[in-house]
Amino acid sequence: MWFLRLRDRPFAWLLAKEWRELLASRAWWVMLLLIGPLVGVSFVSAVRTYAELSGLNGTAAGVGEAFSPLIGVWAPTFSACELAAAFLLPFVAIRVVAGDKQSGALKLESQQSMRPAWRVAAKAVVLLVAWLIASLPAGVAVILWRAYGGSVYPPELIALAFGHVLNAGLTIALAAAAASLTEHPSTAAIVTLSVTVGTWILNFIAAVHGGVWQRIAEYTPTAMVAQFQHGLVRLDVTLAAVTLTIAGLAIAAVWMQIGAPVLRRASATAFVLAVAGAVLLGVTFTGRSWDLSEARINSFPEADEQALARIREPLHMEVHFAPEDPRRTDLEAKTLSKLRRALPKLQVTYVSATSTGLFEQTSAHYGEIFYDLGGRHADNRRTSADGVLETIYSLAGIAPPAESDDSVFRGHPLAVPPRRAGTVFYGIWPALVAAAALWHRRV
Amino acid sequence: MPDPAVTVDGLTKSYGRLAALSDVSFTIRPGEVLGLIGPNGAGKTTLFECMAGVLPFEAGTVKFDGAALPTRARASRIFYVPDAIAPWPTETVRWALDFTVGFFGGRADRKAEVIERLNLSPFVSSRIGTLSKGQRKRAVLGIGMLTPHPVLLIDEPFDGLDLRQTREVGGALREHAASGRTLFLSIHQISDAARVCDRFVLLSGGRVRGEGTVDQLMAHAGPSGSPGSNGSGFDLEDVVLALT
Repeated sequence: MWFLRLRDRPFAWLLAKEWRELLASRAWWVMLLLIGPLVGVSFVSAVRTYAELSGLNGTAAGVGEAFSPLIGVWAPTFSACELAAAFLLPFVAIRVVAGDKQSGALKLESQQSMRPAWRVAAKAVVLLVAWLIASLPAGVAVILWRAYGGSVYPPELIALAFGHVLNAGLTIALAAAAASLTEHPSTAAIVTLSVTVGTWILNFIAAVHGGVWQRIAEYTPTAMVAQFQHGLVRLDVTLAAVTLTIAGLAIAAVWMQIGAPVLRRASATAFVLAVAGAVLLGVTFTGRSWDLSEARINSFPEADEQALARIREPLHMEVHFAPEDPRRTDLEAKTLSKLRRALPKLQVTYVSATSTGLFEQTSAHYGEIFYDLGGRHADNRRTSADGVLETIYSLAGIAPPAESDDSVFRGHPLAVPPRRAGTVFYGIWPALVAAAALWHRRV
Repeated sequence: MPDPAVTVDGLTKSYGRLAALSDVSFTIRPGEVLGLIGPNGAGKTTLFECMAGVLPFEAGTVKFDGAALPTRARASRIFYVPDAIAPWPTETVRWALDFTVGFFGGRADRKAEVIERLNLSPFVSSRIGTLSKGQRKRAVLGIGMLTPHPVLLIDEPFDGLDLRQTREVGGALREHAASGRTLFLSIHQISDAARVCDRFVLLSGGRVRGEGTVDQLMAHAGPSGSPGSNGSGFDLEDVVLALT
């Protein structure tokens, strides 16, 4: 049997050792203990709000989106995982990577001829498994939701979970690189948290200035998770996350070679960053995406998508809105994000002289959208999806598809309280984790 | 004279402007117990770490059986046991020994012998992080003795051990060398070094001041390091003082 042969291999020993190191780490048990109540608070609050809204009989078309479990329950519930990935997981990862350096075990282990990449891989695998275990409360929330009679649409749930796994991978890679690069775990923690905060600042700058900042900010962990929370799986975002994760782990492996000259390690790091940068640049041109949400919240109705698919010419839109203008946010979120998926040849240019647009309102053209479809022009101030689509159909000479109620998502209202959730997340989960921690200490 | 197992040639290492090792050259013969002696700050630990490949150096070569060993290849020939480490502190000594056998490919059949010779039995089930300094030193020595590498470098093998333990461990190391392993020990207590080692490399200020047996070093030191200089007969300490 292959796994019996693997059992005596050095890598299997290393894997076992990393697993034991994880179990011996207090950071791991603290994360495990806290994530239950964190998920619990989010789940209980989300189910209560969902029930309150469902009790108002709001099942008509148009408000159905409010009753999508993805938006109403799963996005807030899994946001606890995002919090844990940002503030708890880095400490677990740093403990696993930096522990060897602190105890002197790295000097012994580095004398095994195994490649550093394998050593980092063992740590990454164990940390990923650790994260999956820490995500169990979110799985328990799904089971409870089903027990309440709630609807579960597996594709959107899988997309969401996948997004959080990618986010955890990024955190692990970042923490591993920081722990490997720095001398002390506390420095590594500061570096990791600084990068996390840095991505938030980047999101803020993107919101204020738009343009290239907005393009870059699409690849920050927060923006990435937000897309998966809407059931949108973008190939470019996924590949960017995988690339950054591999790059982080590669840098960790480079700096684990304590016997290599610093200059050589620095050159290898620069090489990794250059390759990662080139790959990232390449993946931004990958336009494939999949809307896995049951409510199709990232897509136009199917009839509109079929009509748009008939347009072969490139469409250029010049939008005169400042980055902080709420109409621009609305247009981007509800229309242009969907239009980019339906029309791959769409090019959008934002034009504004200020970041808020407050003092541009009286400027000529402010608030207008100019269209250029194959040399045919139009302009208006309509920012709703219907308005934009009508303009495009008119330019393309296509009759707008007839509205159909069949394709409207009706939602899954559920007016039940979050029964037993408090007991599970605030009582049983912490008790189980505490018992497991105590049992492990005795063994 | 047998061909050297390891030849260190022109090894040079500096920390910024501070020269830690300058053109260090010497040989280690197969099966011998070679002692690295010298005052504090002589560069003994730096030399071991450079030889083992856990610290980069600027110039020089480390050869095994006449062939130059690149850093990664050294991991299959030379094993280095650092001083003052507590590896895998949450694991038991028994686990650490098992891990050494599994991860480094050591000899499982030697485990019982190592436990007995280093008297590890009383604390073999204790976690390494809870051991006293002396117990930890013996546990780490056990790890080194179980590794399969032909050459074993040990930094301060007797540090933290009392007189009885020092003699027991010294005997165990001699036996270990007799079983075919080549040992290179860094020892700052000259009397301990004189009891355990066959030959010596005397390092001071990052330079090799002498290499050979006690007699050869005495001859190298001249009249000031000759027997009886301190009125108590033959003494390696006098030789060290004369050469450093």
